[in-house]
Amino acid sequence: MIVGEQKPILEIKEIIAPYKKILILGCGTCVKTCFAGGEDEVAVLASALRLACKKDGKEIEIEEFTVERQCEDEFIQESAPAISRNDGVLSLACGAGVQAIARRFAKSPVLPGVNTMFIGVLEKQGVFTEECSGCGNCRLDIFGGICPVTRCAKKLLNGPCGGSQNGKCEVNPETDCAWQMIIERLGILGQMDNLRIYVPPKNWQTSLSGGPRKLVREDHMI
Amino acid sequence: MNDNFTPKITLFHCINTVPEIGGFSLTGQDNFELQTVKLACSSMVKDVFLLRAFEAGSDAVIVLVCPEGQCRYVEGNIRAKKRVAWVRNLLDEIGLGGRRLSLSNISAGNNVAASQIIQNVLKDLEDLGPNPAV
Ligand code: SF4
Ligand code: SF4
Repeated sequence: MIVGEQKPILEIKEIIAPYKKILILGCGTCVKTCFAGGEDEVAVLASALRLACKKDGKEIEIEEFTVERQCEDEFIQESAPAISRNDGVLSLACGAGVQAIARRFAKSPVLPGVNTMFIGVLEKQGVFTEECSGCGNCRLDIFGGICPVTRCAKKLLNGPCGGSQNGKCEVNPETDCAWQMIIERLGILGQMDNLRIYVPPKNWQTSLSGGPRKLVREDHMI
Repeated sequence: MNDNFTPKITLFHCINTVPEIGGFSLTGQDNFELQTVKLACSSMVKDVFLLRAFEAGSDAVIVLVCPEGQCRYVEGNIRAKKRVAWVRNLLDEIGLGGRRLSLSNISAGNNVAASQIIQNVLKDLEDLGPNPAV
């Protein structure tokens, strides 16, 4: 999922300052799971902003609405009446969701309420970790299902670097060494021979470094 | 404190902490309004309920939970504590003052302790004054 965190409330207050009627639009998928922009976070933010504005004697009307997914037109559609009733939209989705709303509603200012951070997993309740950089050419097959591109500080494809200590990364001792984990897992899988495979330098053209990417599925196009 | 100020307090409590509200002895402190919200477990006190209590005009909000280690649902009171801390920060950030929100652990049915907590909050409100967002 996409992981993000809500912007500090004072920054949000500044972002919405020019508007008198604002819609806080949540997304019920990724950002809900990481407590940044689901229905509950929309309610909390709306309430906190109303209190903050009232305290400052500033008049503002805040409407709350959450769609299942802000990155899909089919779900976005449901928010159209609420968007047309307001001067602006504060989206609590990831950057893709914010832009999907902006694309769909050309005349409404769409503002970000979340800082989008990474593609990750819920490691344990309340802890989210980055696991994939979307490089566009996945080789988790040889790395025992652990991504060195994302989880090794040096992005080594032929690791380890030799500097890890007690299973921790030498760059940041708080982080597990990705290559230590890869080796342990390959051991469990009986695939230690994978370490003999030379992985050539990555062609980063398939990643964001090659410019914004597009996926076209002809078979789904009409 | 402003003579015209009648403090409004909202008290969220777990039914295991305070089975029945009432019987508080608040000597010399009848000049305040107390709204109580009974919860099946203190973990049900969501952030938005606390904020909405302030939106509804409360000058202070109190959350009463069981002592740590004595929650019937194991960690309900810990969850409540973390949520209260989170909302206190938020209240500080927006300038309402986190001190207006407090959580206390009291043992089941200890109305004397509950009364004392309300007295302390009333005392704090003499300093803090009315909710600035009303
Ligand atoms: S808008 Fe972003 S957060 Fe919401 S479902 Fe799509 S990718 Fe996930
Ligand atoms: S190899 Fe690329 S696609 Fe696969 S997990 Fe790592 S960054 Fe993501």
